[in-house]
Amino acid sequence: MKIDDVKIRNIGISAHIDSGKTTLTERILFYTKRIHAIHDVKGKDGVGATMDSMELEKERGITIASAATYCEWNGYEINIIDTPGHVDFTIEVERSLRVLDGAILVLCAVGGVQSQSITVDMQMKRYKVPCIAFVNKCDRSGANPFRVISQLRAKLGHNAIAMQIPIGLETAAEGVVDLVSMKALYFDGDNGEIIRTEEIPQNLLAESKSKRDELIDAASIFSDELTEAILEEKEITPDLLYAAVRKGTLKREITPVYMGSAYKNKAVQPMLDGVNYLLPCPSEVENIALDMEKNEEPIVLENDPDKPIVALAFKLEDGKYGQLTYIRVYQGTVSKGSTIVNVRSGKKVKVGRVVRMHADQMEEVENLQSGYIGALFGIECSSGDTFVSQGLNLTMTSMYVPKPVISLAISPKDNKSQMAMSKALNRFSKEDPTFKTFVDPETNETIIEGMGELHLDIYVERMRREYGADVNTGNPRVAYRETITQRADFNYTHKKQTGGSGQFGRIAGWIEPISDAEFVFENKIFGGSIPTQYIPACEKGFKQSMEKGPKLEFPITGVKVVINDGAFHAVDSSDMAFQAAARGAFREAYLRAKPVIHEPIMKVVVETPPEFQGPVMGLLNQRRGMIIGSQDEGVMCVIESQIPLAEMFGFSTVLRSSTQGKAQFTMEFAHYRQVPQAIAEKIALEVAQNKKTAA
Amino acid sequence: MLKKEIIYRNPLLNLGYEHEDILPNGGLGAVLAHAGVGKTALLVQVALNMMIREESVLHVSLQDAVSKVDVWYHELFHNIAENFNEAEIKEYWDRIQAYRFIMTFRVESFSVATLEERLTDLLEQNIFKPHTVIIDGLKFDEAGRGQLAFLKELAKKYAMRIWFTVHAHRHERPADNGLPVSFLHVADLFDVIVQLEAKADEVYIKALKGQSPDAKQDSLLLDPATMLIKNGK
Repeated sequence: MKIDDVKIRNIGISAHIDSGKTTLTERILFYTKRIHAIHDVKGKDGVGATMDSMELEKERGITIASAATYCEWNGYEINIIDTPGHVDFTIEVERSLRVLDGAILVLCAVGGVQSQSITVDMQMKRYKVPCIAFVNKCDRSGANPFRVISQLRAKLGHNAIAMQIPIGLETAAEGVVDLVSMKALYFDGDNGEIIRTEEIPQNLLAESKSKRDELIDAASIFSDELTEAILEEKEITPDLLYAAVRKGTLKREITPVYMGSAYKNKAVQPMLDGVNYLLPCPSEVENIALDMEKNEEPIVLENDPDKPIVALAFKLEDGKYGQLTYIRVYQGTVSKGSTIVNVRSGKKVKVGRVVRMHADQMEEVENLQSGYIGALFGIECSSGDTFVSQGLNLTMTSMYVPKPVISLAISPKDNKSQMAMSKALNRFSKEDPTFKTFVDPETNETIIEGMGELHLDIYVERMRREYGADVNTGNPRVAYRETITQRADFNYTHKKQTGGSGQFGRIAGWIEPISDAEFVFENKIFGGSIPTQYIPACEKGFKQSMEKGPKLEFPITGVKVVINDGAFHAVDSSDMAFQAAARGAFREAYLRAKPVIHEPIMKVVVETPPEFQGPVMGLLNQRRGMIIGSQDEGVMCVIESQIPLAEMFGFSTVLRSSTQGKAQFTMEFAHYRQVPQAIAEKIALEVAQNKKTAA
Repeated sequence: MLKKEIIYRNPLLNLGYEHEDILPNGGLGAVLAHAGVGKTALLVQVALNMMIREESVLHVSLQDAVSKVDVWYHELFHNIAENFNEAEIKEYWDRIQAYRFIMTFRVESFSVATLEERLTDLLEQNIFKPHTVIIDGLKFDEAGRGQLAFLKELAKKYAMRIWFTVHAHRHERPADNGLPVSFLHVADLFDVIVQLEAKADEVYIKALKGQSPDAKQDSLLLDPATMLIKNGK
């Protein structure tokens, strides 16, 4: 039995930081009557926006973890995932997009398409998420929604088309003209909740007609009926026009653009109508799982509640009610009391309470049918795990997880914090695949790794606030790597005779740099100078050596090992002996292969008013940065640069103070590059000092 | 080895220009052509040649975003270095990229004063000192002689050479000397003028001004597949 999911929407709200997506979500919840009062982000009432459920988010005025919520608009059930805007938390955005059927791309009417919007857009493309755009902050000075539309076209390659035109901008922003119904919409009442529909003002009539023509023209490509109506000069009904725009939107070939001001309560409701009319319902989206029994063959899932269950755990939260696992059900029905299997661990799990979330409040339900997003209690799993009915062995496609680029040593301040810290770390690393933790076997320090300074900073704060774990933090450490720059030969004999059976193995060959792989092992031994059964041991020995460079102890990458000769002893040779010989051979050749250090280089994009362009370029230049270019965007100027991560610590503070807080930046990993000699010497000195301290 | 290969391909010397820089210190150069013939491609090759010689190039675009300009450089550098492996190209690119700075303006907000202000930012903080500037997309029919004269002054003041792309309109008959009419009012300010001319499937590169009368002039073409400069038959 297929369920009627025509009136279900699973949507995300994605955008650049500070473009007002949390405020927009707050308004959506208010208009859909999920909340009865509006609290703004950093608002004077100190309550904070409803979706910023974590205390820390409330304080910082940013959204860190995506909170899922459910609301109803004109008979449609809408599940909303509020997503973070900072690049450091991109994994959250990616996870959200993975489970969504559609999205609202929020853009600032002044800032337009900013660097983070580009990142978010790339993610939407990766997961083929259809979207509508909302140009927010039309009440701000310098607002120009049509500039944003042209940027959507030029910068993101969207076929962006206005669904509305503004009635006044900046302080004169009053409402919008709906180009489908050709009516003027005004938003009255204390919170804009009363929609007043009137005729289009005379001064906007010509513009409205011309923009409607553009809309019809763009939509006609997707509908023969509409084209026919145009040719026959018949009336173009809203249903006809919406159906055509919808087709284009679902194919991602058209991006309908709505506009307004969430903060001033203008035109949020028509955008919600857009969600209902234009974004897909679950059964319109093809979801693919991988069949583990058929060599990960892709299988299209059916949005049918009677089929076996396939659900994805896309987020974990440890709240006051215990572990909460957010799931998206793709097929079947997850009911209270039913048994499901975690595909990764193979463990059977009995479903306890099933809830629908509204930020940090919840609503208990009997079941979650396919197409729905909700949460389960008391389920032990990691983020990204797939749950299925017994007998099924499907997994949802794995999510792209970037490698961490920064680490930090932490230690508990007291005994009480020790326990809390380990509990917190366990939880965080389950919740966030880009957050890693381990104990350094040499220094015995607990190390946390992540995607940026702010990323780790937030987790340290969360440890303190949510778990009461006070920790000391060391200096952030960059994930350096070592590699070699030239070929070096080795011919090493491992020989040990300490009573009993001895150890013997000789390996000869060379190591050389390679650029397109981390490690390659090639066996060129002919004639059995090393018997075949010991070759895997040789490879293992070399691989072990790659984990830590002999001198600076950073992981080694980009090395090809070729062995072409060796010797063995009938009694004393063993796997152990050849592993040790390989390690010795690597040590012998490594320093002669002229090793160098590579460091992570970040792509740093600063958006600043033009008057601060000079100082900002100066700041970037001081940090061993290479400025790729500067782009004049009218009210803002965008400077793109590449800067070593090691130089980026504390940059946000310096940038704020140099630009009166008017500039903002995003940072993401670009590539690894060789460290200049002088810096390499400094790093070597630091490593030596750290070793000394540890000893 | 890669370095030698690219210097060998120094694009405009074969047209009869004597100096490696083509333009004198403080000089202006122009590449004239109809839209879509390859003005940007040719100047990016001039820029790449400078970068390989470790001379800094400021690329000012009034029509494209930074990322698009960057793509031009990547594509042409890859084409030039096609015989080398990815790792060598990447390593070499990392080395020469520091000699390039891209600056983009909207046509309407570009002025010589703004360019000078930005240049001063770069020079005073020792961020970047251009040896050559490329200005791509300036509208010569709108730019008065005064603006070009200022740019010439600027080139002299900062000891730079400035190259321009000049869009010749298809509907416009050229003047007797072969120059676009919209360019005539400023032509005397230029030390070097090069023209790209599409004939059948070939794009010919011709030196119109500044070449040495005694020097041998080869026929040069722009390969439509790679947009690289090659010798004609």
